[in-house]
Formats: sequence, structure tokens, C-alpha cells
Amino acid sequence: MADAPWVELREKFQAALALSRVELHKNPEKEPYKSKYHARALLEEVKALLGPAPEDEDDRPQAEDSLGTGDHTLGLPAELVEAEGPIALGAVRRAVIEFHLGVNHIDTEELSAGEEHLVKCLRLLRKYRMSQDCVSLYIQAQNNLGILWSEREEIESAQAYLESSEALYNQYMKEIGSPPLDPTEHFLSEEEKLAEQERSKRFEKVYTHNLYYLAQVYQHMEMFEKAAHYCHSTLKRQLEHNAYHPMEWAINAATLSQFYINKQCFMEARHCLSAANVIFGQTGKISTMEDTTEAEGDVPELYHQRKGEIARCWIKYCLTLMQNAQLSMQDNIGELDLDKQSELRALRKKELDEEESVRKKAVQFGTGELCDAISAVEEKVSYLRPLDFEEARELFLTGQHYVFEAKEFFQIDGYVTDHIEVVQDHSALFKVLAFFETDMERRCKMHKRRIAMLEPLIVDLNPQYYLLVNRQIQFEIAHAYYDMMDLKVAIADKLRDPDSHIVKKINNLNKSALKYYQLFLDSLRDPNKVFPEHIGEDVLRPAMLAKFRVARLYGKIITADPKKELENLATSLEHYKFIVDYCERHPEAAQEIEVELELSKEMVSLLPTKMERFRTKMALT
Amino acid sequence: MSVTYTTAHGDAGSLTHRVRPGIEPTKEGGRIIVEVDGRVAKIRNLKVDGRPDGFGDSREKVVAFGFDYCYWSVNPEDPQYASQDVVFQDLGTEVLSGAAKGYNICLFAYGQTGSGKTYTMLGTPVSTGMGMLYLSKGLFIREDDCTPLPSSCRIKVSFLEIYNERVRDLLKQSDQKKSYTLRVREHPEMGPYVQGLSQHVVTNYKQVIQLLEEGIANRITAATHVHEASSRSHAIFTIYYTQAILENNLPSEIASKINLVDLAGSERADPSYCKDRLTEGANINKSLVTLGIVISTLAQNSQVFSSCQSFSSSASDGGNSGVPSSPSGTSSDGGRSRRQSYIPYRDSVLTWLLKDSLGGNSRTIMVATVSPAHTSYSETMSTLRYASNAKNIINKPRVNEDANVKLIRELRDEIGRLKAMLLSFELRNFHSLNEGKEENLKELVLQNELKVGVLGGNSLVLYITSGTGLTCLWPGFLPRQDRDCI
Repeated sequence: MADAPWVELREKFQAALALSRVELHKNPEKEPYKSKYHARALLEEVKALLGPAPEDEDDRPQAEDSLGTGDHTLGLPAELVEAEGPIALGAVRRAVIEFHLGVNHIDTEELSAGEEHLVKCLRLLRKYRMSQDCVSLYIQAQNNLGILWSEREEIESAQAYLESSEALYNQYMKEIGSPPLDPTEHFLSEEEKLAEQERSKRFEKVYTHNLYYLAQVYQHMEMFEKAAHYCHSTLKRQLEHNAYHPMEWAINAATLSQFYINKQCFMEARHCLSAANVIFGQTGKISTMEDTTEAEGDVPELYHQRKGEIARCWIKYCLTLMQNAQLSMQDNIGELDLDKQSELRALRKKELDEEESVRKKAVQFGTGELCDAISAVEEKVSYLRPLDFEEARELFLTGQHYVFEAKEFFQIDGYVTDHIEVVQDHSALFKVLAFFETDMERRCKMHKRRIAMLEPLIVDLNPQYYLLVNRQIQFEIAHAYYDMMDLKVAIADKLRDPDSHIVKKINNLNKSALKYYQLFLDSLRDPNKVFPEHIGEDVLRPAMLAKFRVARLYGKIITADPKKELENLATSLEHYKFIVDYCERHPEAAQEIEVELELSKEMVSLLPTKMERFRTKMALT
Repeated sequence: MSVTYTTAHGDAGSLTHRVRPGIEPTKEGGRIIVEVDGRVAKIRNLKVDGRPDGFGDSREKVVAFGFDYCYWSVNPEDPQYASQDVVFQDLGTEVLSGAAKGYNICLFAYGQTGSGKTYTMLGTPVSTGMGMLYLSKGLFIREDDCTPLPSSCRIKVSFLEIYNERVRDLLKQSDQKKSYTLRVREHPEMGPYVQGLSQHVVTNYKQVIQLLEEGIANRITAATHVHEASSRSHAIFTIYYTQAILENNLPSEIASKINLVDLAGSERADPSYCKDRLTEGANINKSLVTLGIVISTLAQNSQVFSSCQSFSSSASDGGNSGVPSSPSGTSSDGGRSRRQSYIPYRDSVLTWLLKDSLGGNSRTIMVATVSPAHTSYSETMSTLRYASNAKNIINKPRVNEDANVKLIRELRDEIGRLKAMLLSFELRNFHSLNEGKEENLKELVLQNELKVGVLGGNSLVLYITSGTGLTCLWPGFLPRQDRDCI
């Protein structure tokens, strides 16, 4: 090849490359693809300069590939050769151009044209795909076809291409292993060619993307575990190759922890969260920014936001782990079951051995110092379900620590719903801690703490905008008062000599619970304060439950005055009756509250007789 | 599938579906594959015998979707053609009457780029859209463009655009560079708001239109080879409507907000933050920048699934895994407990801003616009599917709820006790008709026992044995007077 055209080729190619990298938003707003179209024109020129492809006998029979959906990736020809000699060189260069043309067309929403170019690229490279010169390009072309098919919602085809890429990478690394050429190098002069280290870096990055695409494919195919595994691997590789933005990496790892939490894989979740803490600590210290175009804007604010968000992920970790323990140890009325507790104690050792040895290695982020730093964070918090109050308390304190941290950013002014969610989590932490507490007085105090943090929240909240939040809190406060009342009753039960003081207390708690259930029910009224004839589907069950509890609460008021007692019974009956009547009028409601309805019906039939007895007796005295 | 809650108050969400007006669908020589039949839109798959595509229902030859209203606005000569006036009659009136009553209203359009969303909602610089034109007209007194408002009403408007997750004020273009830095916040009293967004008091219809046109001219529409003028941004035109009223002879105010939302074309709204796209289509995001979105979607999915597991007792809830989870993040899980995990990315600016509209004291009307051409088949399918899932988007997350088991058991005990009591009374009455004196005493005991029963669930069996010895079990417990009675 003559020198002059070769120089021209190289220059044109580099110019096209530079143009295609211009970000969309740098184009005029009305012509977002301007630079892409320009790049395309240059690539076409290069292609013309390279001349037509020789009619290679190998290429002909495979023409049908362009119509296929990637089947050829499965039936690869056995013949594999090095890309040597002028014919090979020409083919490889043409393939590079086809690749860039393909990507260019896809970027400008011209999928079919893009596909054609990419398939051509693969065809040109077929027999050289395991060579140092071509493996990276081949993988990239396949990856882009994967993306293309995913855009056509043909996810299986996408998967075939991407899995083929993954296999090719693995095979290449196993059999050859030396860092392959970056595709752009085919248009560089000898002296400009990349160093081994740079080649390796770029190739690894291609593979990281490959895994990332697979993660998405598996997600769309609802293979969530596999998708998580590939996300995890992507994060891991970002660390290994030092290609991450600390703040982003940290928030991603923290988010992944939430996946593990939902899958009840608490060790993995803890690892993600600990790693998130450690890497987040690097923010500002490390400037390697690859693949990230972090928004300008208020960096300190974003920093604090992310910190708050990671804290919230931790809160969920502590909370879920404790709730999980509660679920596995409670009896049928939600109290601690001692048999289950000792059963779990016995299981623990086995659990420990198994997890330490096997699962831990599988997810390990980082090596050396980083690994130690992560372990140091991990050691401070358990991943095992707490089995007694002491263990639960440890988790509670960690959770509470993160509650305070999250509240620093998520303040009520500006972040109303977020702030409230954090407070609700705090309340939930107290609630689950109360489960582990055996002393009833102290348990009562924990509920009192919940109420103390929830009550002020709704004072200033405009129900027009925060209706749901308002309702949630009303419901929660009502429940908390109810729980306290139950506890006080149980305490009174145990007392040898319960006095009028405790009775008064119980009645006050009863009243408060009633008040909040009533507030909740009032929130259902329309602007004219009329209770709806038809309760919306989303609040139906809570509304019925509130009615049910109100009915029950009236039945539980302690009074020595038979007249009042009778009044209370009548009010109680009225509410049970509401439930029964409503379900009669709206049969679809019945299935929402089967048990409660059945009980209400019984009460409706029994209470009048009971009241009758009362009246008779009152008349007698 | 049709979503209308016709409750007497609040919670009214309607779904409307509109076949694209204006631009001729057969431009690319396409065939019309959508037809409207009353409240049902039917879409035909021309490729039904072709390649297997693995997406369940799309293999059906004709798929029907039900809506509350369906409009055909393709060709004015068509007998079933629905003009702006017709559309307004149905929707606009509903919006206005709701606003007058003090509801927040949100009217938003969803659909493929070029399917006519902007047309429906806001109009183009040349012709004002249904949403705007009619609403503004309805708010003011109709006959005269310049008639001022009655003094009891005050109307302010604002107009913003969300592009790449950034908010820009379309009515304040003073500083181009700073225009995208508006922050979205929540105020405990005023609700979600955009810090620094300009609000403009308007007193007549003309002023509204002027502001609207000013804003539209500022919007970004990008030309691509594919679409002539696809909107690349979401736009929200907000009307704040305040009426002074007398309530119980005291001056008071009814405040409401009407949000007209023009959603960007579902495909290209935001290249770097396309969460909706991710949950909707099967597309692969290229850049690792979006890793966070992928992971958060994953976490969100696991949330839905885990809640299905833990609430499997309420069988019908959720579980049909083929349905994509709702894009707003408030997923459709029928779970009876609060979200178990926290997902940092979950709210886009749009979702955040419309929080109160999507779940609160508001009415939401969603307009799905589609193109009837066969070339848009998959887009149309996805729009219709999305729209038919819109119920989930509008749906509010459930109120938290504690386990009722304890209460239920307790109440069962009481019922048992009551039944036994009544039974024993009947027996006793039968046996001792003439022993009035003794019965009196027993009644008194019983009354005390009832209180005991109310107090603690533990004493349930004591009752049946009855007898006078009962009070001894609770010495000193009952308030003084009570004991005196005994």
C-alpha cells in the first residue's frame, strides 16, 4: 500500500473516530446527530479508499448470516488462522470500518443498516477471531449486535451474541492470553501502536462491558440471580481495573445490597455495604474517572445525598435482619417462641462454617489493603440473624447510627417523604427490638419512643399533598398505642394489686389509639366531610381494619359505670355492624378481610344479647 | 383492565386512549393495524406467523385493550373522527369540575414519539393543544378573551421542562447557562415544588396563551432522521387555582393545582437516565454509567418477588411475573407491608414532582397516544401495555399494617366467652327461675368477670365454672366502687 493514501486513510479514520465520540448534547439541540452523520461520511470515504472486498470464496456461502439471528455464532467453522499477509490485513481494516459504520448507524437509530455492517464485520473476521489482532474487535462487534437485538426486543438473539462473546474471551485468555490489539490500532502507524498494558486495559474493559450487557439480558429474561451475579462481577472488575468513580461505585454496591437483602443473603448484603462505605471514603481522593460523565452541579450536595442514601441502605439491612429473626422465632401471636430460639441457636454453628468458607469467597470485592479495610467494616456488624436481645441490640444500635446519619441529609424541609421514611424505619427498629425485649415495662417504653418520634411528624404535614404518608403514620401511631395498651393490660394482669392508676393509664392509651384510628378514617371523607359510600380499593383493607380495631377498642374500655359500659358496647356494636353491612353491600370487600368479617358477624349477633343482660341487670339494681 | 374509579370523591383515575391525529399514518406506506371499537382499542399483529418473539401476548393476532375513552383522530373525514372539541367535552370538563372542588388534577400523555402527545396536551406553536386551549378557556369566562376573572379567584401558572433529569423554567429565560439548575424539593405545607420556578399571575385567557406560546417556543425539539419534531423533554404546565370562599361564614380558600404533563417520547427522553425504558423494553444500556439503574431495577424486582413470597397467603396478589413492574417505582405488589429495601435511584424528577398527583388527593387522567401504522407495531403494543398497567402507576402504595393475629385470637376468645356466658345464662335461668336473689349476685359477679375478660385474655375458662369464688382471683383489682357493689 502506498504511503500517501495510507496517511490519508489514517487521518480520516482518526477524524471520524473523534467525531463519533462527540457527545450528543454538544451538538446543536435541533441536530443531535450532526457529528455522527459527519463521522459516517468520513468512514464511507475510508471504506471507498480501501477498495472493494475481494470476492473471497469463504465469504460467499455465509451471506445468509445477515438474515439470521446469530445462529452462526453457535456453528463456528473449525478453521482458525492468524491475521497475516496483505489479504488478511485488508480484510481486518475493512472489518474495522464496517464495525464503526455499524455502531454509527445504530447510534442514529438506523438499526437495520447497522446490523448489516456489523454482520459484514463478523464475516470478514470469522477465521481470524482467535487471533491477537482481531479477538477484541470480534467481541465488540458481537456485543453491539447483542445490543441491537435487544433494541428489537429479541432478547434471545441478544443473549446468543453476548454469550458467544463471553465464551470467546474465556477461550482466548485460556489459550493465548497475550493482550490483543485494540481495533483502532489497525489505523495507527507502527510507532503509534499501544503498549501491552494499555491493550490489556482496553480489552478488559470490553469484557467488563460484555458482562454488564449480559447482566441486563438476564434481567430482562427474569433470571434475576444470574443478573445479580453479573452486576456483582461488573462491580468487582471495576475495582480490579481501577475504572470507577468512588461515589457512584459505592451507591451501586449499596443498591446491590438491597437485592441481597430481599433474597435474604445477608452476608453478601453486608459485604456490599461495607465495600460501599470503604469506597465512598475514597471520594475526592481518587481521580480515575472512566466511563463516567458525572453531572456538574452541586458536588457537595450530591456527596451528602449519597452518604444519606448509603446510610439508608444500611438501615434496611439492620431492620430486615432483625425482622427476619423475629419471623423465624415468633409463635402464632407474634411472641418469642423459646423452642424456636434454641433450635436456631443449635443451627448457627453449622450455618457459620458453611458460609464463611464457601459463600464469602464468591463475592469478595478487592484484594489486599482494600479487602482488609472492607473486612474491618464487616466485623463491626453481624450478618447472622440475632437470636437474643443483646444481639438484636447491637444491630439496633448500628441501624440507629445510620438513621441519624441519613437524617442529616434527609431533613423534613425539602425532603418530606424521605425524612418520614427514615423516621418510620427508626420506629420500625424500635418495634422489632421490642420483640426481643422480655421486660414488658421496657417494651412499653420502646413503643412510647416510637410514638414520640411519629406524632410530631404529622402536625405540620399538609394532607392534600401527603395524604398517604399521613395515613400511614396515623395508622402506625394508632397501632403503637394499641400495643402499649395491650402491654399495660398484661402488666396489670400480672400485678397482684392493680390500682386505679393503671386502669386509668390503660384507658388513656385506649383513647389515644381510638383517636388515631378515627383520624385515619376521617381522612377518607370527601371535602364535604361525608364518609364515602364506596371505599377505594387501595384503602379498603386498612379502613376495615381501622373500623375493626375501633370496635374492639370500645369493647376494651374499662369502666365501673354500667351506663357507660352499655354506651361503649353500643358503639362497639355499631362499628362491627358497619363492617358487616359494608361487606354485604360490597361483596368484593369481604375477601379482603375474611377473618375480621367472620368475627364481626359473631360480635354483631352476640353483643345485643349481652347488652340486653346489662339492661336487665341495670333495671334490677 | 379499564381503569375508572367512579367514587363519589377523590381517587378518580381515568385512562384514555387516543389514536394519533394529524400526521398521516401511511406516510411510510404502512397499513393501519389499530382500530377503535367503543371503549376498546384493538391492535393487529401482521407478523403473527413470522418469527417467534417470545413475548407472550404479542403473539396473539389481535390484542384488545380496554379504556375509559377511546378516540380516533386520524382522518377528519372519517365518521368516527374525534376532534379536539369532542375530546375536551369528555376530559376537560372533568378536569375543571375537579379543580373547582379543590382536587389536584394531573392530565398526562404517554406514547411513542410522533404519536401526538404534544398535540393533545399542549399544542404546537402554531395551534394550541386541547389540554391548554380548552382548559384555559374553561377556567376563564368563555365569551370574551379578555374578560377578567371574578375577584374571588386567583390563577397562577408555571411552565417547566425536564431534560436529562434537569429542570428548566420555560418562562424565565434570562440566564441560559443557569437555566437547568432548578432543584426539586418538598415542603411540608406546600408539597413538592421546584425551587426558584417562576409563577405568573394571569387574569385572562389571552395571557395564558401568551405564556404558553412563549414556553413552547423555548422547548427543545430535536430533529432526527427518524422524527421530524419529537419532543425530547418532559414538560409540565401547572395552573394554580385559588378560590376564596366562605366556610361557616369564615373566609377560607380552596386551592388546587392542575398539572398538564407532556411526556417525552418514551424511547429517547433521556439517554443517560432511562429507567422507564429499562423496565419497559428489553433494551441494553451501553454505558456503565447506567449500571446503577440496572442494579436498582434488579433490587426493585427482587422486592416485588420477595413480597410475593412472604405474602403468598393472599394468593392473588402480584405474582404474575410476565408483567413488567411499574416504572414509577411504587410497584404493584399487593404486599401488606412496607417496602423492605431502599433503592436510591428510584424516583426520577418527574415522578418526584408528580408524587402528589400519582398518589394523594388528586385525580389522574392518562392519555395514551398511539400511531395506527403497522410500522409502529411494537411501540404501539408497548404503549398500550404500559397504559393498561397504568393502574399500577396511579395506584398508591398500601397503608402499613400490623399483624392482626393477636387481636383476632383475643376476640375469638371473647366470642367463646360470650357464647358460653349466654349459654350458661339460659341454662341457669331455666334451672333457677325462682332464685332471683342468687341470680342477682351472679349477674354482679358476671359483670366483674366481664371486666376481667376485657382486661386479660388469660382468664377465659374461669367463667364457665362460675360461682361466687371468682372475685377472689382478682382481689383489689377492680376500682373501689365496684368492689363496694359486691
